[in-house]
Amino acid sequence: MEQLIHRVEEWVHQQPIEQIYVAFAVLLFTISFFGLLHVLRRSKSNTILLAGLSGSGKTVLFYQLRDGSPHLGTVTSMEPNDGTFVLHSELEKKGKLNPVHLIDVPGHSRLRPKLDEFLPHSAGVIFVVDSLDFLPNCQAAAEYLYDMLTKAIIVKRKIPILILCNKADKVTAHSKEFIRKQLEKEVDKLRTSRSAISTADIANDFTLGIPGEGFAFCQCRNKVTVAESSGLTGEVSQVEQFIRELVKP
Amino acid sequence: MLDQLLIFTRGGLILWELGSALKGSPIDALIRSCLLEERSADAAFHYDAPGAAGGAAYTLKWAFDNDLGLVFVAVYQRIFHLLYVDDLLAAVRREFSRIHDPSRTSYDDFNETFRQLQKEAEARAEEMRKSKQAARVPTVPKKQTNGSGKQRNSGSGGNTSGSGKDESDGDPGKGRWLANGSSNGQGDDSKDNSRAPSGFLKGKENGAPEVGAFDVNKLQKLRSKGGKKTDTGGVGSKATKAEPKKNVKKNRVWDDSPSESRLDFTNPVDERGEEPLKVVEADRGESMMDKEEIVSSESESEEDVDVENGKPCTKKKGWFSSMFQSIAGNAVLEKSDLKPALKALKDRLMTKNVAEEIAEKLCESVAASLEGKKLGSFTRVSSTVQTAMEEALLRILTPKRSIDILRDVHVAKEQGRPYVVVFVGVNGVGKSTNLAKVAYWLLQHEVNVMLAACDTFRSGAVEQLRTHARRLQIPIFEKGYEKDPAIVAKEAIQEAKSNNSDVVLVDTAGRMQDNEPLMRALSKLINLNSPDLVLFVGEALVGNDAVDQLTKFNQKLADLSTISNARLIDGILLTKFDTIDDKVVGAALSMVYVSGAPVMFVGCGQSYTDLKKLNVKSIVKTLLK
Repeated sequence: MEQLIHRVEEWVHQQPIEQIYVAFAVLLFTISFFGLLHVLRRSKSNTILLAGLSGSGKTVLFYQLRDGSPHLGTVTSMEPNDGTFVLHSELEKKGKLNPVHLIDVPGHSRLRPKLDEFLPHSAGVIFVVDSLDFLPNCQAAAEYLYDMLTKAIIVKRKIPILILCNKADKVTAHSKEFIRKQLEKEVDKLRTSRSAISTADIANDFTLGIPGEGFAFCQCRNKVTVAESSGLTGEVSQVEQFIRELVKP
Repeated sequence: MLDQLLIFTRGGLILWELGSALKGSPIDALIRSCLLEERSADAAFHYDAPGAAGGAAYTLKWAFDNDLGLVFVAVYQRIFHLLYVDDLLAAVRREFSRIHDPSRTSYDDFNETFRQLQKEAEARAEEMRKSKQAARVPTVPKKQTNGSGKQRNSGSGGNTSGSGKDESDGDPGKGRWLANGSSNGQGDDSKDNSRAPSGFLKGKENGAPEVGAFDVNKLQKLRSKGGKKTDTGGVGSKATKAEPKKNVKKNRVWDDSPSESRLDFTNPVDERGEEPLKVVEADRGESMMDKEEIVSSESESEEDVDVENGKPCTKKKGWFSSMFQSIAGNAVLEKSDLKPALKALKDRLMTKNVAEEIAEKLCESVAASLEGKKLGSFTRVSSTVQTAMEEALLRILTPKRSIDILRDVHVAKEQGRPYVVVFVGVNGVGKSTNLAKVAYWLLQHEVNVMLAACDTFRSGAVEQLRTHARRLQIPIFEKGYEKDPAIVAKEAIQEAKSNNSDVVLVDTAGRMQDNEPLMRALSKLINLNSPDLVLFVGEALVGNDAVDQLTKFNQKLADLSTISNARLIDGILLTKFDTIDDKVVGAALSMVYVSGAPVMFVGCGQSYTDLKKLNVKSIVKTLLK
C-alpha cells in the first residue's frame, strides 16, 4: 500500500504541471455540468396528474381547467387525457405564463397500471374524490389512496398530493373535513391489515405513519392537503392555487 | 326511433350528441362491461336500466374510428328492431371523420348532416324490407317453436320472448341479411346466421355468444334474473341436447343409503396415535404466497423470429410500396392486413391451451380496436398487433377488485362475524388439498381458521379434512356423511361465531356442471349461508372445458338463486400449476375472460407451502412468447 502511494506520487511529480491542472479543470467542469443538469431536470417538471376513482369527475375538471367549461359532458374514460396548456382562467393575465402539463388518468380499475407510467415525471398529484357519493366508495378510494401514498416514487421524491373533494356544489355533498377524517380512518385500517402481509405485498414499498398512533395525513413525508371544488360549475380556484404553487409561472 | 346517438373521444369527452336523456347510464355500463373487457367485437350490448317502474331496456350498437380515437354509439329501445343502425353508424363515422378537428369541441353543424344521413339510412332500410317481402317465401311456422326461441318471424315486429338476448340474435341476423342484399328465401334461421357471409357486421357473430362462449350480457342478466326460471336451453344448443338426457338419467341415491358406520372407517384408537405427526407437519416454512416472485426478463429475440414468419404473408401490395409505407408511416391498417397477424396470434394462443372461442373473441376485439389506425413509422403490422394484444391481455388479467383477502377478513372481524369461503368445482380438481393450503397461509398471518366438512358424499372426505385439521391444529366442524351440506355449513358458521373463529373454509363435494340435482344442492348451500367469497377451483390442465364449466356454474347459481342479486363466482383458484409445462398456461386466461372473476390463488404442488399469487406480467409474457 505505502509503496503504491509512493509510486503514484513519483509519477504525478514527473508530469508537466499544466497537464495536471487541465485534467483537473476538465474533471471539475464535467462533474458540475452533470450536477447542474440533474438538479435542473428535477425542478423543470411541470406535469400534474389527475387521479381518482372512476366517476369522480377528473375528465370534467381537466376540460374545466383547459377550456373553462366541460362542454357537452363526459363518459367513462378509456384512455388518458393529456394536454399542455395555460390554465383557462389565467389567459387574461398579461405576460409570459408557464404552460401546465396536465394528465387525466382513467380511474377504472382495469386501467390503473397507466398511473405508474406517468408518475416518474410528475410534480404533483391531484386525487379527486366524489364528495356526493362518498360513503359507498370510501373503501375503494382509501385503497387507491393508500396504494399511491406507499409508492416508492411518491415517498422518495416527496411528491405533494392534493385530495380534492369534487362535486362540492351539490347540497348533499360531504364536507372536506368529514372526508378527510373518513379517509384517515380507512387508511389506518388498511395500514394494519397490509402491514401484516408486508413481506408478501410487493406493491407497497413503504409503511405509513407512526405505528401505534392513528394515521393522519400530516404524518406523511410528502405534503398532503385537502381542498374542495366543483368541476361542473367551475369552482376550481383551490385547484389552480395548488397547480400554481407547483408550476412556477 | 333512435333514442340517442353519441360521439365521444376515447378519453371520455362527448363531442356530439343527439337525442333525449336516457334512463340509467347505459353508456358507462357499455364501456365498463364491454369495451374495457375486450368484447368490442360483439354485435350489440343490452342494458336494463335499474328502476322501480319504467326501467327501460336499451340496445346499444357502436363503431370505432381508431385513427382519431373516437367512438360512435347508438342507443335505442330493445323492442324496436332498427335495421339501419349499423349502416347509419358507418355513414356517421365517414362524415364525422371528415369534419373532425382535434382542437374543436363543439360540432353543432353536424346536426344537419346527421338528419340527412338518418333519412337516407331509413329510406334504404325501407327499400330493403319491401324488396325482401316481395321475393320471400312465407315463413315456415316451425321456426316459432324452437325451444331456445332464437328465431324471429320476419313479417311481424318480432317475438317478445322472455329473455332479451333472443332479440339480439335475430337483429344482427337481419342486419347481415340486409347488407348482403340477396334474399336467401330461407328466413333467418339461427343456423343461417352461421352460414351467411358476414361481410358487414363488425366481428363474426356466427352464433358464437349463444354457443358456450361467455357473453357479458348474460352475466348481467344472470345477476338480475333472480329466481326467474328461464329455459336453460337458452345457453346453447349443447344444453338443449343435454336436457333430454338429464330426464333419463337416474337420480343419485342420497337418502336411502348404507348406514354411516359403513363409511366411517376411522379407528378411534388411531387419533391418539397420530399426535407426534402433527407436531412435525404443522410448520413447513413460509407459504409461497408470501415470497416475491423473481421474474426473469427474457430476451426479445425469440419474438422476432416468430414475427418473421408472419411477415411474408402481408406482401400483397407489392414489396417495395409496403416497405416504403412502413418506413414513411402512412399505412392505414386494413382488416386484410390484420388477418394474417391475428391468425398467427390466435394459433399461438391456442397452442398455449387457451380455449378456441376465447382466442377468437380476443383476436376480434383487438382487430376492432386497431382497424383504421395509422401505422407508426418503422413499425410492422405484426408488432403493432402484438403490442395491442399484450395490452388487452394485461387488462383482462388485472383484477377488477381487490384480491386482498386479509383485509376483507379484518373487515368481517370488526363486524363480529366470521368470513366464509366456499370452495366449489368439478370432481378431482384439488379442492380439499388447496383448502388446506389456504388455511395454512391464513394461519401464518395470525387468523383463526375453522374448517367445515360439507363434502358429505365422497368416502374419506371428512377424514381427509380431519387429518389436515389435526396437522394444522385448527378446529373442524363435521357431521359425518349423508347429511345435507347446507345445514352442516349453517351450523358450522354458528359454531365459528361462538368459538371466535375469523374464517370458515367450507369444503364441498365435486360435481359436474351438467348434473342438475347436485348443482341445485350447491345453489341451496350458497343461498342459505350467503358466503363472503365463492371460490371456483379449476385445474390448469383443463382446456376448452374450463369455459363450459364456469359458464354452467354461473348459470346454475344464478338460475336457482332465490334472492334478486344472485351470488356468482367471486374468485378463481387455479390448481396443479406445477403439472403443466410453463408453456401451456392459457387456462388462466380462458377462465378469467369467461367469468370476469380474478385469479386469487395458484396451487403449484401438494404440500402446504405450494400456494402463490398469479403473476400477471409473466403469464402475459409466456402467452405471447
